[in-house]
Amino acid sequence: MKVFITLLFRSLETGSVYALAALGVVLIYRTSRAFNFAQGAIGTLNAFVAATLLMSWGWSIWVTVPIAMVTAILTGFVIDAFFIRPAARVGHEGKQIITLGLIIVILGITPILFGVEPIPMPRFIEFSTLTQVEFMGASIGYNALFTIAISIALMASAFWFLKFTSWGLAIRATASNEMASKLMGVPTKNVTMMSWATAAAFGTLAAIIVAPQSAVDINMMNDVQMSAFFACVLGGFQSFYGPVIGAYLIALSRNLTNFYITSTWSTVIVYVVILIFLFFKPVGLVGKKTIKKV
Amino acid sequence: MEGKKRKSRLIGQIKNKFSKNIYYRFTAFGVLLSLIPLLSTVGIMKVSTVSLFAYIIIFTIVAMGLNILIGYSGLISLGTAGFVGFGAYGVVYFYGHGIPYEFAALITLLIAALIGIFIGLFSLKVDGVYLAIATLAVGEIFSQVFKKVTWFTNAYGGVHFKFPKLFGVLQLQKSTMFIFLVVMMVLFMFIMYNIVHSRTGRALMAMSRSDSSAQAMGVSVPRYRLIAFIIATLFATTGGILYASFFRYVQPLDWNLMLTLLVLAMVVVGGVKSIIGTFLGVFVIYGVPTLWLEDLFAGTEGIAYIFSGVLIIIVVMFYPNGAVNVFQDFKKLYKKYKNGELKIKVKKGQKANE
Repeated sequence: MKVFITLLFRSLETGSVYALAALGVVLIYRTSRAFNFAQGAIGTLNAFVAATLLMSWGWSIWVTVPIAMVTAILTGFVIDAFFIRPAARVGHEGKQIITLGLIIVILGITPILFGVEPIPMPRFIEFSTLTQVEFMGASIGYNALFTIAISIALMASAFWFLKFTSWGLAIRATASNEMASKLMGVPTKNVTMMSWATAAAFGTLAAIIVAPQSAVDINMMNDVQMSAFFACVLGGFQSFYGPVIGAYLIALSRNLTNFYITSTWSTVIVYVVILIFLFFKPVGLVGKKTIKKV
Repeated sequence: MEGKKRKSRLIGQIKNKFSKNIYYRFTAFGVLLSLIPLLSTVGIMKVSTVSLFAYIIIFTIVAMGLNILIGYSGLISLGTAGFVGFGAYGVVYFYGHGIPYEFAALITLLIAALIGIFIGLFSLKVDGVYLAIATLAVGEIFSQVFKKVTWFTNAYGGVHFKFPKLFGVLQLQKSTMFIFLVVMMVLFMFIMYNIVHSRTGRALMAMSRSDSSAQAMGVSVPRYRLIAFIIATLFATTGGILYASFFRYVQPLDWNLMLTLLVLAMVVVGGVKSIIGTFLGVFVIYGVPTLWLEDLFAGTEGIAYIFSGVLIIIVVMFYPNGAVNVFQDFKKLYKKYKNGELKIKVKKGQKANE
């Protein structure tokens, strides 16, 4: 039981990271109709901002993380204004290729700005005997609890925003049919801009949470990015909360296979299970089958 | 006078043949490319340029397969890198077990085709974005296998290979191997041209517009989806086999999502549905940064890399239908220039557009 509780909390922590990234991916997919392959790269860039402010300039983590979030939002604005919006006549595949170009540009600029060395990143609350809580025999760090709480709170407020505000309604309208909502007077341009900013901020938070496990470096988000995509198909692209559920499921199943079956092949097993699942439920957990018009 | 006339008629005939017969064009293009090793021996080109062009040729074959899949069937695959890697490892593995090069290649292609059929069958149920991410999962499984199945890939150590001996007689060297690559590329260009202009190509084209209407016209959608996936996997695997044969070293970290995305970029940047455009796309993505940008920004490391990203973005933004349209734009400009109405016409055209 002790092991299971530890695994559960670890899954909740990594699941929150995946969920934040997945929510960003699905937000952009729904409003811009393109996979954002650069989600991880944007997160990495702004994690570098936080890490540099923290380690080289010596600022407090409680100041640097909000600053990194602000720079993330700015990054989102810049990307939308200079790359996505001018590419209106470019097809979906073209937009995805633009995000690929963005990965190359961002990952090329990062070492020039911040150096090639990986930067170690501390946790929000350092792990020690004082900062942990006993729960059914398992010891859980305050940091894990804090990151889980802040991600869930952030996502919950995002859902509240989507459901109960007029801007949320505008986002949902754009997601369901951009052309029609434009004709009805929804400012789709601002909606797209906002979703890029939000996705960038979520990606950055995910990067900052995942950074202490290794260090801030160029490839830190590869795994998160991949898991975010799988979370989206597992949960279904049709809803905003489906990918979040998918993310927690992926994290939990990977941790469980990792511990109880095999650590070498856990990733492969999880992917195969996702493929089999997709075969029987081709639109994900909470997806609806869209009826095609001829 | 007589001789001049006959000469001009001859030139006209040749010109006619080149503009009408696509096979002549591809062959001439191949002959031009196979001069590259010669140029590097003479000293006009750097030796590394040969390897660069080998890479470009190999990935032209890979990207042509993806081009058929995306352009003609409207399906998308994000597992390309996995198949290229599989081709490379497969031929090395079977060759290492005493099977002749040609048969080793054939067995590798056969296994890849079986996996292609599997994905094709999968695509009958799963559609659109879900299919794209599912193929991404297949690619990731491949990449995990490359890193962890030691008897097949020697894990992080990588596997070594040597220049193959064709049909047991023709031992290839670096320059002859390059010519072999060119021959294969031209052959695959012919194959793509024939597929596209056959019943299969027309059926795929109909499917890419609308599955339901294609079905109503009597196109068997499941069958052609399978065919499209098998074609794409075979092209990718062939690319992998050639990669192993030319570079003679395969290591597991090369076959990642980034490579898949770059192949996708080659197709989109070059021009969906265009054969020469595919080569152009690969050239823009691999050739231009290495040949010119690195010299241009020789002072600071990393700038050339950034500019290759910028280049991709710019080409996609200004030529959404592919860089292959650059030629047509030049042709139009030249025509206008020839008629002496360049400036006026451009302005008028702009006004008409507005």
